[in-house]
Amino acid sequence: MDKYKNIWRKNLIKTLTLGVFLFLLSFTFEPYNQGQLALVLMLFIGVLSLTVLTGASGQISLGQGALMAVGGYSSASLITHLGASIWIGFLVAFFATAIFGLILGTAAARVSGPYLAGTTLVIALALPSVANRFESVLGGDVGLIVDFGTPPTWISNLIEVGYEQWQLWVVLPVALTALFFISNLMATRAGRSWQAVRDDEIGAAVSGIPVARTKVIVFVVSSAIAGLGGALYGLRGLVGPSVYPVSLSLTLLTAAILGGVGSISGAFIGTLIVVFLPDLIDWAISGLAVSEQLSNYLPALLTGFLLLATIIINPAGVMGAGHRKKH
Amino acid sequence: MKIRGSQTKRWVISIVAGAVASTLAIAPSQAIPVRSEVGVSATEIVLGMQLPQTGPASPGYNKIDDAMRAYFDFVNSKGGVNGRKIKLVVKDDTYKAGLTISTASTLINKDKVFAMVGSVGTQTHISIIKDINRRGIPDLFVNSGYSGFYIDPKKYPTSFAALGTYVVESKIEAEYLKANYAKELAAGKVGVLYQTDDFGRNVLAGFKQQGVTFPPANTQKFVAGSQALGLTRQVQALQAAGVTLVVIAAVANATAITIGTAAKLGFAPKWLVTSVGSDATTFKTILASQGTSGAVASALLTGVISASHAPSPGEDTDEFVIAFKKINDDFNVGPDKTWDNNVLQGMNIGYLTTAALQGAGKDLTRKGLIAFMEGKGATLSSAALSPLSYSSKTHEAYNSFWIGAYDANSVLKPIGGTRVLYTTDSAAGPITVSTYKRPAIAADALPKVG
Repeated sequence: MDKYKNIWRKNLIKTLTLGVFLFLLSFTFEPYNQGQLALVLMLFIGVLSLTVLTGASGQISLGQGALMAVGGYSSASLITHLGASIWIGFLVAFFATAIFGLILGTAAARVSGPYLAGTTLVIALALPSVANRFESVLGGDVGLIVDFGTPPTWISNLIEVGYEQWQLWVVLPVALTALFFISNLMATRAGRSWQAVRDDEIGAAVSGIPVARTKVIVFVVSSAIAGLGGALYGLRGLVGPSVYPVSLSLTLLTAAILGGVGSISGAFIGTLIVVFLPDLIDWAISGLAVSEQLSNYLPALLTGFLLLATIIINPAGVMGAGHRKKH
Repeated sequence: MKIRGSQTKRWVISIVAGAVASTLAIAPSQAIPVRSEVGVSATEIVLGMQLPQTGPASPGYNKIDDAMRAYFDFVNSKGGVNGRKIKLVVKDDTYKAGLTISTASTLINKDKVFAMVGSVGTQTHISIIKDINRRGIPDLFVNSGYSGFYIDPKKYPTSFAALGTYVVESKIEAEYLKANYAKELAAGKVGVLYQTDDFGRNVLAGFKQQGVTFPPANTQKFVAGSQALGLTRQVQALQAAGVTLVVIAAVANATAITIGTAAKLGFAPKWLVTSVGSDATTFKTILASQGTSGAVASALLTGVISASHAPSPGEDTDEFVIAFKKINDDFNVGPDKTWDNNVLQGMNIGYLTTAALQGAGKDLTRKGLIAFMEGKGATLSSAALSPLSYSSKTHEAYNSFWIGAYDANSVLKPIGGTRVLYTTDSAAGPITVSTYKRPAIAADALPKVG
């Protein structure tokens, strides 16, 4: 127990420190980078959900964006139709997506590998049809208009807070909570049993770990985290099919692979790469006469190249090397 | 354990120290604010725009930005506006609202545009209009006829239309149907195909306002974002319902594909197409990409009914068409500068934007520009044959349309030979004949304001 307490305390200190760092950083950044940093944190939560699912338990999902959409729609429906606060929206998104994950996970536990990837991909592809089927509630092809709102008066009376800064301040505590939760979970007995299932299902079963149930539990946890990220992601202005396309799922997977699947700090670094790479490219080609048509495609092109290079040269990702050394 | 503990401490200390140092390093530069309008310098005005440059909904519309830029380059070649050159920054949102949010954020926070101009798309613009307005950024000449953006300036004080609203257009088209296709309406032979967003719904609202409704069996819809390329089911349903006239409220690619699909199915009703989906060049380009020859596409377009607030691009004697065509030839460097309705519309927005910037004066501010638009925007002239409606009560643009049909040369010509402009509002106002006479374009093709 002391050991877990110690881990818990260290994770708390690390998380709070990161929070203070990012909070202070929000004062130094221009609105554009404040928005980008908020986006990093939103997607980081989504990548964390993959870290749990793929990294810890070895299950592959190509539809994590759809789980984010479930969270986004749950939260946005509540905010739009019932006038709930965004904070209530986050809570509902967390639990609603957990329930969705339970249903999906129960089915998913029967398949694995490419079959599971295919199943989750279908969920992502089916999203627009669901949104259009329940147009009056989910807003159809357009979606539901929601946003972060403005800071409460007790904050705006104290200090002038821009829209992007407020976005960052709302996202930050949620991302830190998710980070703290996942960091601790991975270090607990439950987390280790997930890893046992990932490494050798038969071995895990022989050791008394209920494999199918463990997989479902991981799916539920992963879904709940993804839902939370999705609720935040939607508050950028809209919750709709075009906000959670299949490419979002692939972006999350790309970030996880670039950073190192299974590594929490890798998830953060991977997300930083996918969010800031387009800016880096813009900066690199700013003096060159590159057509709009080409420059618009360059980020996707280079991200794809990076992904291939990572898989071929360093499959463990940016943080993978460090992990290998440790072990 | 001790080693790990000290590592954690070092990690914490270094992060906090880094954050404090970076805060202190940047703080002095924030302490001396420089008061100037975002996106405006002594030599330049930066404007932003987003539209589908690529993707299924892009054909035709992806020429508007090049035409606008051509007009701005023409203005810049004449010295700009009050000595400032106009720079247009364009982002491709592929007609996906999720992407529009990101591109708008980049235009606003990274490119630091003074104003947004000519952005294309109803369902894309709806995702960012609240944010743009909240920031007080002028959102001029939006390429959407959705009335909800403009009829309540308290809701969206900075957004101004570039088109007549879909309600105004549909009300006028509904009256045309009542006068000329009364038997078909009475027999339930008129159908509709609309896209399931505020564009499509706005069109239906306009028809309903004039008492034209469509029986459920004659009503087909589709999702603009994902179904625009596969409309066979909807066309078959309309064919099975036995309709003889179909109203299409859709973007250009869906319109072309609907008519092309119907031809393949041997279904040949009369078509009435909303103006934003009816450009002849775009129609033929899209059908050509589906393997339909130019001659066949022209034949399919012949007789299609539509409406317009402007001259047809094929009217070679119109003075605005002549002037804009020359500017397009001389300054358009886009990948496809073929003269058509999209290019005409882009040129017209360039012309209106230049006029508005002139009107806002040398001390250009966002508030000043919006005040000018509300106070004097209605006095601006343009290539359109309709007056503008801008005021503090409405930010709608054109309130008049004329009804025409495409001839064998793919030129929209007034039905009956004489052009009659009908005017109305986006509410329950009556439809009357317009007496507006468009002011002439200046010899140098630049707007004259003040």
